[in-house]
Amino acid sequence: MYLFRLAMASLANRRFTATLTAFAIALSVCLLLAVERVRVEARNSFASTISGTDLIVGARSGSVNLLLYSVFRIGNATNNIRWDSFEHFAASPQVKWAIPISLGDSHRGYRVMGTNQSYFEHYQYGRKQNLELASGRAFATDPFEVVLGAEVADALHYKLGDKLVLAHGVAVVSLVKHDDKPFTVVGILKRTGTPVDRTLHISLGGMEAIHIDWHNGVPAQGKGRISADQARNMDLTPQAITAFMLGLNNKISTFALQREINEFRGEPMLAILPGVALQELWSMMGTAEKALFVISLFVVLTGLIGMLTAILTSLNERRREMAILRSVGARPWHIATLLIFEAFALALSGVIAGVGLLYVCIAASRGYLQANYGLDLPMSWPSEYEWTLLAGILAAALLMGSVPAWRAYRQSLADGLSIRL
Amino acid sequence: MTHALIELSDLGFNWPGHPQLLDIPAFRLERGETLFLKGPSGSGKTTLLGLLGGVHKPSQGSIRLLGQELTELSAGARDRFRVDHTGYIFQQFNLLPFLSVRENVELPCHFSNVRAQRARQRHGSVDKAAAALLAHLGLKDKDLLERRADSLSIGQQQRVAAARALIGQPELVIADEPTSALDYDAREAFLQLLFAECRDAGASLLFVSHDQSLAPLFDRNLSLAELNRAATPAEV
Repeated sequence: MYLFRLAMASLANRRFTATLTAFAIALSVCLLLAVERVRVEARNSFASTISGTDLIVGARSGSVNLLLYSVFRIGNATNNIRWDSFEHFAASPQVKWAIPISLGDSHRGYRVMGTNQSYFEHYQYGRKQNLELASGRAFATDPFEVVLGAEVADALHYKLGDKLVLAHGVAVVSLVKHDDKPFTVVGILKRTGTPVDRTLHISLGGMEAIHIDWHNGVPAQGKGRISADQARNMDLTPQAITAFMLGLNNKISTFALQREINEFRGEPMLAILPGVALQELWSMMGTAEKALFVISLFVVLTGLIGMLTAILTSLNERRREMAILRSVGARPWHIATLLIFEAFALALSGVIAGVGLLYVCIAASRGYLQANYGLDLPMSWPSEYEWTLLAGILAAALLMGSVPAWRAYRQSLADGLSIRL
Repeated sequence: MTHALIELSDLGFNWPGHPQLLDIPAFRLERGETLFLKGPSGSGKTTLLGLLGGVHKPSQGSIRLLGQELTELSAGARDRFRVDHTGYIFQQFNLLPFLSVRENVELPCHFSNVRAQRARQRHGSVDKAAAALLAHLGLKDKDLLERRADSLSIGQQQRVAAARALIGQPELVIADEPTSALDYDAREAFLQLLFAECRDAGASLLFVSHDQSLAPLFDRNLSLAELNRAATPAEV
């Protein structure tokens, strides 16, 4: 590999430009891989937001809308469903478990969700992982207990035993607060990387209790008010909930039950399969993801064109080098090979440095991304697809290297042994 | 030896679309001969060297090197033939600046098995051949061998170039104004070394220059303008 050594020595002689060129390629490679990793990880974490749930049921609207408010805490339900409709289906023989959900309140921008014990038992995310408590316990019989998602506790610095007041409605700035009925933090969940982290969980009874003296969306005044202690002694069975989740004994009955719910005569309802709705939602967001990927491909292309430019500009000043090589017996194809090697070496060092840079970036930003976006970027070896991308970059570099190689070939044929300055 | 080292007959050359540049009815260079060829710039000197090196093909006529008709060989074969049998020294900046002195001298051996083999036969190894040649040319210092070529003085660089032209004993050394960057005393000293080494290696020397003052040192001297019938009268 004497030619390769020559190419290396020649590159080392131009180490400043060579380093810059390789660095540009490294940056673009790092960007491409980072986008790819975030993309894969975002898709994974998106798809694993909810698992193990066979049907999500809400008032009739769109399936994406239902998924958004019931799982992602985005947007609002168009309507509630009656408590007895929930009880009707929860008691159905195909149903293994049912989780009622009641939404509509918030606390300093975080959504509050009313639910019951079965939520902690049956709700699953990721690879069928159950929710786990980092500290404390799930809410029990007292209606004014709250279990915080990990991010809520972190961001608002709550610990067990703290009291907090819920606000009516989901706006970040709430004008109406349920300040007559404070809640006590009894449990904090472990981090899941899903919207659960950003949720405050209370019992359905608690949800009912804070609204018990409300009429037409405003709290009662004067002697119409009901205190927390009074509420504790009242029947706190809700009239309506926002949605519910179902786990079935047998997956095969999913479609039959879905049809049954959709054709329910009691009230108009909609049952969706979470996987299908997630797919639908992702296909809407997938365009942005693809655009990002295409952009980073173009950045790689820019890096390679930078390399091409650097090599091409060097050709003229290296005519002497070529002529000397010709005079000591290098044939034109030797000269061409030399330039291909040069392009390859630049791209290879760029790719290696780019991968290195990626790991440095991941190591540096991992905790931050996990905490703020629920993204867990793996420090793993490049995936098969990533290897393909890297190989593609090298192949593209070789292809581009063939342009200056061809020029140098022509040039060295024309110049021969004469040295032109 | 029946063949002359170089034998040109009825050689004609013109660049496409240009008038005849070279028209040489006959020219010979014998083995072991040193020849001074006077050629001002623009006289077709560079083109003639290109033809002898097999880089260009003549429009007509024949070029024989060691009895081999160059015009019958393919471009690749001419390249190989050139490096096997010819060493080159140019005016200035002959060396690849990013290689060491030793690596510069060894360059032809990487492209020609014939020369690598001859170097090994005579000196044991290519390394030793390079060191021996450099020592003969007055570059004895061992440290100097591993220095970057562009850290040497011009005079030293030209001696390194000479060592490179001579390694592996090519039959012909072509020198194109190798002394133009040297002062007079250095020129003569350089030439004496070059002559000695060529004699030692049994190589012929074709020395092209416009500096007539060096001519008496050679076995024979010629002017390209006399040789070339296509030359314009002004150049004669």
